[in-house]
Amino acid sequence: MGLLAALLSLAGVSLAQDIEVRVPSGAVAGQAASISTTGSGSATFYLEGPSIALKRDVQLGQEIQLSARQIEGAGRYVATICASSCSSSVFFVAAGKPSSLTFLVHPSRAPVGQADTISGVAFPFDEFGNLIFTPETVQFQISSKDSNLASHSVQTQNGVAWFRSSSGKSAGAVQIAASLNDVQARRVVQQVASDPCRLQIKAQRTPKGVEVQTDPVRDCAGNPVPDGTIVTFTAKNGDEISTVDAPIKQDVARARIAAKGPIVISAASGVVMGNEIRVGGQ
Amino acid sequence: MMRIRIPMICVTLALAAGYLKAADASPQVTLNVTKAAPRTVEPLTQRALLRDYKFAWTNLAQALESNSMESLNGLFAGNANTALKDKVGTQRQSGLSSRYSNQSHKVDAIFYAPEGDVIELHDTAEYDYQVLDGSKSIHSEHAIVHYVVLMTPGADRWVVRQLQAVQHF
Repeated sequence: MGLLAALLSLAGVSLAQDIEVRVPSGAVAGQAASISTTGSGSATFYLEGPSIALKRDVQLGQEIQLSARQIEGAGRYVATICASSCSSSVFFVAAGKPSSLTFLVHPSRAPVGQADTISGVAFPFDEFGNLIFTPETVQFQISSKDSNLASHSVQTQNGVAWFRSSSGKSAGAVQIAASLNDVQARRVVQQVASDPCRLQIKAQRTPKGVEVQTDPVRDCAGNPVPDGTIVTFTAKNGDEISTVDAPIKQDVARARIAAKGPIVISAASGVVMGNEIRVGGQ
Repeated sequence: MMRIRIPMICVTLALAAGYLKAADASPQVTLNVTKAAPRTVEPLTQRALLRDYKFAWTNLAQALESNSMESLNGLFAGNANTALKDKVGTQRQSGLSSRYSNQSHKVDAIFYAPEGDVIELHDTAEYDYQVLDGSKSIHSEHAIVHYVVLMTPGADRWVVRQLQAVQHF
């Protein structure tokens, strides 16, 4: 075989036909492109890309059309033409225009008045799910029902834009939007009251014991503390101590302490202590 | 004595060949997390990322060589999984397969989300890449490819959601 090739070579006949494969430069995902070849005769064309592999018969010297669908995936493509031998060229397809934003926001519930507690991360993608790697400006906007609370304009770096922000002062739903041109994604964060600011209790002796309840429990910004927050009432009668945990319902926590003698009652919720009150015996 | 020696040599050679093949199939991956921001990558997370990214490439190579999605083990999700599925499907349809061997990946963690729910990696991958039509090799090269990777934590592993080659970082 080697001898035959050498003889043919001496005779000026090439066993392999050198084919030049000219691939597109600056191809964009989802936009048709073409590949040109040199030579003549029939050949087999192969394309290997991030989400495609194809094989088809082509005529050398004619343009090979790549449909928009064939190059939807951004990334690296290898175009190969095989006649008597194979030639390959590599080209890249870039992502198209922004079509969607993947927007991650945390947390879903944030206590009011906390520094750097809300964060958002946005990744722009084109319509084929390719990450857009070129810098784009993403507008983050935080707004409540009544007003705009904050906005951040952030340029994507390596395909990502992010922000961190403090929570507002009022409890309630806050809308967080990320927009890039006419593409927008929205998320809602529920701002909830922070820890109780102060606890004030009052008590009354009844035939069944001592009824004790808090005044409406609020955080330091005046927001009612969420229902279900536990208030612990402690009753001391000499050396005898008893505790009752009561959840806040409609701003107030209530409990009944079964004690006949004089007692001292106090309350606590989280790190906040309330006032102490003395209740005389029956 | 000779009768024993010859089979032993054969077994040793077979084992060595098997070992070489296994070593060839297992990608070499290094992960540098010093550039990760705004959150720093904890050592346990770094270990898990390294393990799962390496495993993802092992499985990707197997899937594209065997034209079967069965070996992917749920390490790909979202866009990355769709792209891989499409590629395997079209390879199978065209009678093609591709082979990634002698893989080496130098990976930098570039962005780690404040809440730790997504990480962006930049992988400078080096491998021998071969495209086969049936059993005939139609293309082979030693490729150096830059990949942008997005991974998110799953229940017990990190999964690749985006695996996109770019011309440069």
